[in-house]
Amino acid sequence: MMRTAISILKKDLRMEFRSKESILAMWIFSLLIFVIFNFTFEVSRLVMLEIAPGLLWVAFVFSGMFGLNQSFALEKENGNLRAMALMPVDGGQIYVGKFFSVTIIMLMFEALIFPIFIIFYDLQLSLGMFRLIPVLLAGTIGFTSLGTILSAVAVHTRNQQILLSLLLWPLVSPIIIWSVTLTGMVLSGEVTEAFYPLLLRVGAFDVIFFTLSYMLFDFILED
Amino acid sequence: MGVPALEVLGISKDFGRIIALRGVSFSVQSGEFVSILGRNGAGKTTLLNIISGVSRPSEGEVKLFGTDPSDRENKAKLAVISHEMFLYGNLTAIENLEYYSRIYNVPNPKQRIETVLNDVELTHRRFDLVATYSRGMTQRLTIARALLHEPSLLLLDEPFTGLDQHAIGMLITLLKKQKEMGRTILLTTHDLHTANELSDRYIVISKHKIVMDGLMTDTNPDAIREKFFSAEAGGIDS
Repeated sequence: MMRTAISILKKDLRMEFRSKESILAMWIFSLLIFVIFNFTFEVSRLVMLEIAPGLLWVAFVFSGMFGLNQSFALEKENGNLRAMALMPVDGGQIYVGKFFSVTIIMLMFEALIFPIFIIFYDLQLSLGMFRLIPVLLAGTIGFTSLGTILSAVAVHTRNQQILLSLLLWPLVSPIIIWSVTLTGMVLSGEVTEAFYPLLLRVGAFDVIFFTLSYMLFDFILED
Repeated sequence: MGVPALEVLGISKDFGRIIALRGVSFSVQSGEFVSILGRNGAGKTTLLNIISGVSRPSEGEVKLFGTDPSDRENKAKLAVISHEMFLYGNLTAIENLEYYSRIYNVPNPKQRIETVLNDVELTHRRFDLVATYSRGMTQRLTIARALLHEPSLLLLDEPFTGLDQHAIGMLITLLKKQKEMGRTILLTTHDLHTANELSDRYIVISKHKIVMDGLMTDTNPDAIREKFFSAEAGGIDS
């Protein structure tokens, strides 16, 4: 049943590892954000701790937008999007394959850029930082589960990038805001009792977005 | 006579105020090779998109092997060859074909890939990225991809566009072979002579509706052109 999803995932990752187009562009873009913010604003460490979580997620989501656009732009090339519509498979399987490939690429990029972020903003590494793993996972999955289906919608249009932004931002904003709050708690070392309920809320949104997208993807592939 | 491979029943399609097809009806029997002729913008590609289940008609119905074209079982029996490649430039020929063989659940994929690559004379370039192929080679690989899962119905949308004489000759030979194997083939083209060489039957679409439907044996390209020109000035190449 998952054969199609795995095939699409393997194909996407193979193409990405071969070209490194998405990861490299996302990494350079995020690096620029960090460099510009670091050298433009001279703020105290306390203020830096306040803005750092937001900055980190700005880098993640703006770079993620590039990854999402790239994912379906590849399919549009040479008519592969039409080939997908012709496949004798459930559209949900295609969604799962594309979702996992976008998510894995984005998580790999996050793993590559996070150490740079730590160095630039002189943050202290501690065991408590491991709490960032579920936060990054939940926030990223929310972003990519919705982004994958909306990217498939937007790719049919001429202004793909603008439309994707217009569709994605309003819907994904709650997840990003909660993820910034959670990241702030972990980075400042002030994990309150509100942490886990909020993380659970992000997880619940992830499940809703993923399930709806899985069910609706068949309709997206049609002309 | 059994269930037709394809039934098109009163299909109309519009895109807002633009009409693409109006009341198109015909059926194709299994093993038949039908050419759909018409000038650019006549609605040939729209018709093929509807038949393949990628697009829905505004009115009417299509049946593939007696059922809905969007059924998964029907999609597995179908192959489309068009000016679009349906290939990934950043993968090799082998990787592209392996990908599609997994999607279409092709039995003995290695052997089948070897056979289709051999049929289109691309075995020597199988490990090269598709992005490095010439237009003709890419189109040959497109044909190999389409034949990979041994489809019962082949939909060909202007497949000769952009091909050199060698590639055209190879495609004609391959299509003749497919016809001999009993496959049902629907070809859209504006090349009358190729249509005449390959098809059992022709359908002419003009101004979004069928204006002629007949057997190739009953007529010749000049007669079709003559009749077509009487219906509409200009359009079909000789």
